[in-house]
Amino acid sequence: MQTIPKDRRAPFWTESRLALLFVLPGLLLMIGVLWPFLQGVRWSFSDFTLTRPDALRFNGGANIVAVFKPGTPEFAALTVTLKFAVSCVAIQTVAGFAVALLLNWPARWTKVFRVLVIMPMLVPPIAATIMWKVMLIERGVVNYLLQAIGFGGVNWFGSPTMAFWSIVLIDTWIFTPFVILIMLAGLQSIPKEIVEASHVDGAGFLARLARIYIPMMKPFIVLVALFRGIDSLKMFDAIWSSTKGGPVGATKNLHVFAYEQGINYLNFGRSMAALFILWVLCYGLSMALLSTRRARAAQ
Amino acid sequence: MTAATDPVRIVNWRERLRGAAVFAALALWTMFALAPIAWIVLMSFKQGNDIIAWPPKFVDFTPTLDNFRSVLMLPDFLAPFRNTLIVTLGSVAVSLLIGLPAAYAIARMRLPAREHVAFSFISLRFAPELFVVLPLFVLYRTLQLNNTYLGLIIAYQLVCFPLIVWLMRSFYEEIPKEIEEAVAVDGGTIWTKFRIATRMSLTGILASAVLAFIFSWNSYALPLVLAGKDTQVITGAILGFMKFADIQWGQMAAGTIIAILPSLVFTALLVGRMVDGMTAGAVKG
Repeated sequence: MQTIPKDRRAPFWTESRLALLFVLPGLLLMIGVLWPFLQGVRWSFSDFTLTRPDALRFNGGANIVAVFKPGTPEFAALTVTLKFAVSCVAIQTVAGFAVALLLNWPARWTKVFRVLVIMPMLVPPIAATIMWKVMLIERGVVNYLLQAIGFGGVNWFGSPTMAFWSIVLIDTWIFTPFVILIMLAGLQSIPKEIVEASHVDGAGFLARLARIYIPMMKPFIVLVALFRGIDSLKMFDAIWSSTKGGPVGATKNLHVFAYEQGINYLNFGRSMAALFILWVLCYGLSMALLSTRRARAAQ
Repeated sequence: MTAATDPVRIVNWRERLRGAAVFAALALWTMFALAPIAWIVLMSFKQGNDIIAWPPKFVDFTPTLDNFRSVLMLPDFLAPFRNTLIVTLGSVAVSLLIGLPAAYAIARMRLPAREHVAFSFISLRFAPELFVVLPLFVLYRTLQLNNTYLGLIIAYQLVCFPLIVWLMRSFYEEIPKEIEEAVAVDGGTIWTKFRIATRMSLTGILASAVLAFIFSWNSYALPLVLAGKDTQVITGAILGFMKFADIQWGQMAAGTIIAILPSLVFTALLVGRMVDGMTAGAVKG
């Protein structure tokens, strides 16, 4: 710590003390959050149920172990969580990058598209889920159009595989606009001279993509992938409001599993253990995210 | 690509073709992005049998306002709408009240362990909501805060507070240091500096507040656990239309559209203000 030069009057309210006063309400809020949080961590090592709160017994981390033990419902939820996050991040990063490149085309009309393409961002995830459910019902407009061009109708939420990909589709619809926005900002940060020089040198689009766009966009790609990674790991809204984790657990990730165990069965021990592991995953990614931000700030 | 023809014209012709391809690809993606919104808007103006008609009706139906009329008379929709308004505005106000000084201290003051404080605030945004909300639910049972506005407003800080602090930190950091030095030379206290900086970042505050408003408005998991019969919010209400054996499609569509409106209005407001701010900056600069 650096020492603060002593004024002759030596005021009590030094700048650091004032600064602490400024963040104090926020810190109190943090403490308010920390208490339930620590409580949750404690419960995750116990068989706490809300029906018998007095009979709390610690079970040596059996709930935590269950998350990593193949065959348990917890492990199935962990698998769904990871599969969902990887699918969403891969699809949305690629799609968002591609659309941003298209929007970067030097023409006036791209401005109109920029506004239109962002629209889904304004729709609450719950409303988006309703919209897609309405379109994807058995006798819905999507199946009608598919049949009109010669495909069979699809049972979108009926089979485990299709339900999973339907949720990925909804998530992609909701969150790709965010990816597009960040990617556009990234593309605009690339100096025009570099792109122009590559044109003069006669580089094709693929060469430009591999040599200029992807390397120069790397910080933005990492940022977006981490952001979307965290949010899709803890995806809850679109799943609980459409499939509630079914059919046969195909869309039941850790977050949904924890809600079901906690609120429906009052098994707070198992619920909190699943959330604890989920939190560790999210926390790891958010540390990575913030260190990239700090690295950029240091540059 | 024979070298004999005019090279400039070839380039132009190929560029135009590429432009057309880009346009087509963007149009396709835009269709994907807008189709669900367009479909629910259409649906909200349809009568019951037009909604479930097969083949689906795209334009050949008589539009009606019945769905909006009945939703706006429905207590199951109006009360949640009012609740959401109270909880959301309350949360944003509380967040600004505790978030602005915190953001200023992080951005501009000699704060001990600055980055740790900042990280602990932002880490709220990245935690799975239920990890805090489920224990909060148990705590609220003893404090009797479940199913109250106050309980919800406290819980909504998980959504609003990190957002406000994070955004406002950047806005405060953008204010030229010279201005603050001038205030200090004039004998201004830190409180004066904070007030001046805050007045200078009104656009930023507006932007952060609107974003916090939208995120709180859209929030689902928090009220699902902590709200009760009297404090039901809009996201739960529009999903409620799906719960019954026969889904009230028309009312659900109309309700969904009404639920999106505040976000749309606020965003339009924000975009307008941002454009104003930028043009003002350009004139002055």
